[in-house]
Amino acid sequence: MEKTLRLKAKELLESGEVKVVIGYGWNRSKTRTTPVFITDPADVDTLVWNPLCVNNLSLYLTRKYKEIKALGRPAIVAKGCDIRNIVVLITEGQFKREDVFIIGMTCNGTVYKQDLWKGELTPNIMPTKCHNCDVRNPHVTDFVVGEKSTFTPPEVPTGMVYDKVKDLDSKSQSERWAFWVKEFSRCVKCYACRQVCPLCYCERCITEKNMPQWIETSAHPRGNLSWNLTRAMHLVGRCTFCGECERSCPVNIPLNLINQKMIGVVKEAFDFKSGYDEKTHPPMIVFSPDDKENFIK
Amino acid sequence: MADKILKKADLGKLIESVTGKGGRFVAPTTDSRQIVFKKVKSAEEIATDYILARNSFKEFLFPQTEVVAEFTLGKDTVDMRGVEVHAPQTVIFGARPCEAASLKGMHALFTWDFIDEFYTKREDNTVVVTVGCTKADDACFCTTVNLSPASTEGADVYLREAGESYTVEAITDKGKKFVEAHAAVFGSGSVKADPLVMPEKIANIDLAKVSERLKDKTHYDDKVWPKLTRKCIGCGACTFVCPTCRCFDIVDEGTAFEGERRKNWDSCQYDTFTLHASGHNPREHQHQRWRNRFMCKFNFFPEKFSGKGCVGCGRCVRVCPVRLDITEVMEEFSK
Ligand code: SF4
Ligand code: SF4
Ligand code: SF4
Ligand code: SF4
Ligand code: SF4
Repeated sequence: MEKTLRLKAKELLESGEVKVVIGYGWNRSKTRTTPVFITDPADVDTLVWNPLCVNNLSLYLTRKYKEIKALGRPAIVAKGCDIRNIVVLITEGQFKREDVFIIGMTCNGTVYKQDLWKGELTPNIMPTKCHNCDVRNPHVTDFVVGEKSTFTPPEVPTGMVYDKVKDLDSKSQSERWAFWVKEFSRCVKCYACRQVCPLCYCERCITEKNMPQWIETSAHPRGNLSWNLTRAMHLVGRCTFCGECERSCPVNIPLNLINQKMIGVVKEAFDFKSGYDEKTHPPMIVFSPDDKENFIK
Repeated sequence: MADKILKKADLGKLIESVTGKGGRFVAPTTDSRQIVFKKVKSAEEIATDYILARNSFKEFLFPQTEVVAEFTLGKDTVDMRGVEVHAPQTVIFGARPCEAASLKGMHALFTWDFIDEFYTKREDNTVVVTVGCTKADDACFCTTVNLSPASTEGADVYLREAGESYTVEAITDKGKKFVEAHAAVFGSGSVKADPLVMPEKIANIDLAKVSERLKDKTHYDDKVWPKLTRKCIGCGACTFVCPTCRCFDIVDEGTAFEGERRKNWDSCQYDTFTLHASGHNPREHQHQRWRNRFMCKFNFFPEKFSGKGCVGCGRCVRVCPVRLDITEVMEEFSK
């Protein structure tokens, strides 16, 4: 697959169809992958593809990355799950479909965190999203690299995150509250979760608005809770469960539980899952007379 | 000759001896699937098989958030009140030699043009007990910045693993007093220390060259900055886990009429770090912010305070979501 990928990248750069290829490369010791930005066709051999390619590179397509935008039209190496984020960005008017060339990678799963890699991809080191993935054959692409995957996701979603959500749902409100207060108490307010999220593209995040100060910036329980709840609410109906926030959180707060819970709620209320069709607008940004609106009592 | 030793089985007694006198005992422990420095109450909580804790122990000297004053607003008055510094007797156990070496720089900064008692009082009451490393990973690079698992810089007491015991070496007066104060727990014997593991020095890095090149400010607009660091997402996680990062922000929080003034960690990796009220930002792009972090480590800080700006612990490399490796930049600047 790497060979096809590199050839395509080369062709795209040489023809001038794109000016930069955003993909994955090795670190110095070839133990971890890291994002690379290839602008010179001579450098395409830097590109790699393997189960360590965890990053959701669609982040670099957002408006925060002015310098990357300035390089010119990008091609992006993307897994199906990453493409879901690109789709959300398009539906939210962040750019147009034709502004980006999507090199879709067929995928058999990645590791949850790169440190877990011991040379082989086994189910226990894969994130829940991979076990239930319906986009192993990437769904919105300009070019596909790799053999067609025959994987069919289980009828009823399975895996650690679903189990834990179910477990929490079965608890009383006060137990759930205690669970989250404890988890959030570790938050160090680094905002890595926000920075790594392709859908947190606001140029001025609400935490940084201080006239008035909506969210206390101190990492005390009150400030942490308001931060984490606010971020969660801002991702309802948008989050694709790519898991980047949880992966990046230096204190291991199980943010995927929140993400999956919200996804379940949106699915139930609107029968909508984000990131599949770039022509359908997400429920939170459309007005429809058919909305039940039974939350207004 | 018999040496001073600490039996691993006696760690619990040491904890009791410290906490019994009202002190806090901080050690690496497992919390939420990773090793972190935390206050512990028993020896069972202490992790034994670890390379380095995810956080540095700086948060016990320089907490992430702390109240430095309280205020009440009246009709035409502001009543500002100082608060007591919370500085309990503290033992940091199981720190690594690299991170202990950060203390000199920390001290220099917090006593620079103003004595920050919130730091110094805590520092006075803290004993740092390091344990030489018998394990390392590919992010460790202490030997590249002229430190090693054998360095004792910044440590009050230096231990080495020796089978079921530790060898004990008191380095500073504070360390000697600590060993004396808990003499009942320490024993003597003749044990053989386990071999230390020395991370390989990164061949293409020359620290002198790095600082030489950084001194010449023409590198400021060098294309190499965006090239190497444009992948940085500005999350600041690197600065939060770094033992030598010490930037903070002062904020007032509270209701309309009363509140507290807090000192909170800040990071030069945030765009708001240098954002002016006018809207202008002298470090508009992420690579410029990253350049600042690198300059701080290898130029401004060592020049100004002669302390180490980077101790080679590799925390920033491990925590970075995009695996931006500071040593790869050091390599580039050694050319
Ligand atoms: S969710 Fe699907 S596309 Fe994404 S990494 Fe897992 S298997 Fe691959
Ligand atoms: S990444 Fe984790 S620690 Fe950082 S702000 Fe988000 S939840 Fe808090
Ligand atoms: S810059 Fe990185 S390696 Fe150096 S002291 Fe800080 S965290 Fe450790
Ligand atoms: S300026 Fe940046 S690198 Fe230097 S101490 Fe502050 S946060 Fe750390
Ligand atoms: S941890 Fe990595 S991505 Fe985050 S600010 Fe530091 S260098 Fe940038």
